[in-house]
Amino acid sequence: MKATQCFFQDGEHKWLAIVRDPERPEALIDTNEYLVAYGGAGLLIDPGGAEVFPAVFSALSSEFDPAAIAGLFASHQDPDIISSLALWLEFNPKLPCYVSWLWASFIPHFGGSAESFVAIPDEGMAIDLNGLTLQAVPAHYLHSSGNFHLYDARAKVLFSGDVGAALLPAKSASLFVEDFDAHIRHAEAFHRRWMGSNEAKRAWCERVSRLDIDMLCPQHGAIYQGADVERFINWFDALRVGVAVG
Amino acid sequence: MMSFCRAVSVVPAPCAAGRDLARIVQINEEIKAIVALAFKINIMALNAIFLAKRAGSTALGFSVLSNELRVFSQDLKSAMAGLSGLIHQAVADVSVLLQDQRLVRLLEAAEMHSGGNERVREALRARQEKMQNHGAALARQRRQLQLVLANVAQLVELGGVLAKSAKIEAAYGQSFAPALAQVSGEFDGVVEAIRHSLGLLHKSEFFAQR
Ligand SMILES: [Fe+2]
Ligand SMILES: [Fe+2]
Repeated sequence: MKATQCFFQDGEHKWLAIVRDPERPEALIDTNEYLVAYGGAGLLIDPGGAEVFPAVFSALSSEFDPAAIAGLFASHQDPDIISSLALWLEFNPKLPCYVSWLWASFIPHFGGSAESFVAIPDEGMAIDLNGLTLQAVPAHYLHSSGNFHLYDARAKVLFSGDVGAALLPAKSASLFVEDFDAHIRHAEAFHRRWMGSNEAKRAWCERVSRLDIDMLCPQHGAIYQGADVERFINWFDALRVGVAVG
Repeated sequence: MMSFCRAVSVVPAPCAAGRDLARIVQINEEIKAIVALAFKINIMALNAIFLAKRAGSTALGFSVLSNELRVFSQDLKSAMAGLSGLIHQAVADVSVLLQDQRLVRLLEAAEMHSGGNERVREALRARQEKMQNHGAALARQRRQLQLVLANVAQLVELGGVLAKSAKIEAAYGQSFAPALAQVSGEFDGVVEAIRHSLGLLHKSEFFAQR
């Protein structure tokens, strides 16, 4: 079973992380799902794969009423991000799913119809959650060619999709990065291989270094907080990516 | 990102609908075999018509039967095309059912783990109802297929009678009798092969289910 942890709270404004599923089938990569809640409404971020839907749904239900989910945000098209779409739409057929315009006609292969999607233009867009403005921040080619991160300026939280992801050993249970140097070893091979463009990476590092970020939340691994956020951005900036042997 | 490539199945063993897909593939193979045999009869009948023409008035009956066998091959070909259409529809129906089963399985798990969330229970009920309707549609499809198969079986019986009659007529072909006998024997053999394939179709487990 997955666990839901609240890592930011300011009154009715919350960020929840749904993490670590020791019972998931071995062949599935572990994922983090996030929910940002504001005034009783929630936006579910990278809702996850179909096979982990039961675990995500029940973990979320323990902290938040799933009926209050107002929308889904998919950073990109991968199955570990959004193949649960058909199930969320079974639950609430009217849920809008925010996703890059590039994928709006691909993701319906997982479920949904044209009406299910709000296409995000390449430059990004503001997403309103019950009065809270969230910003879809472009992160194209990191790794997907139509890719967005989500910034909450009020909470100073950046959801960073696969950027910052680490494939941690099964025993690592901490929600936050505790020892940056030890942690980043589990992130290096991943970023070298999955991130395809040094140019895009440079642009992203510049873009996000201008944002005020307390917590950087990846879709796999642990959350970077405080000084580790800048440490990560600098590390990523210096890393040569788009490397594959073969 | 995508999960790493491992040769491990995340899905449990195939259910009845999953096995149906494999059976449909088998049915399709038999249909293709029968269509090939129908094509063969068509060519053989054409040759037989020319042979009968050369044999002249002594092979008039044989000529008529050869023409009838050509008509038979064309009828068989179009009957098999109809069967193919139904089979394609069955593939679509089975796929929808497989999708239903996956959704039901995951919704059931979500309902159970969440301690009976009311909205999930509703979604589950709605999906189960759809699954039932899709199951009923597939059952109708099976019956329709069986009806068409029964018609094809009758058609093949007619082909068998034509081939046998051609054998008898061949005997009146005087100096052409041995050649005509050989051709009619081949007709008989091909119709027998069609009957065999049809028997396999009938026995397919796909039709054994309700
Ligand atoms: Fe991805
Ligand atoms: Fe991922």
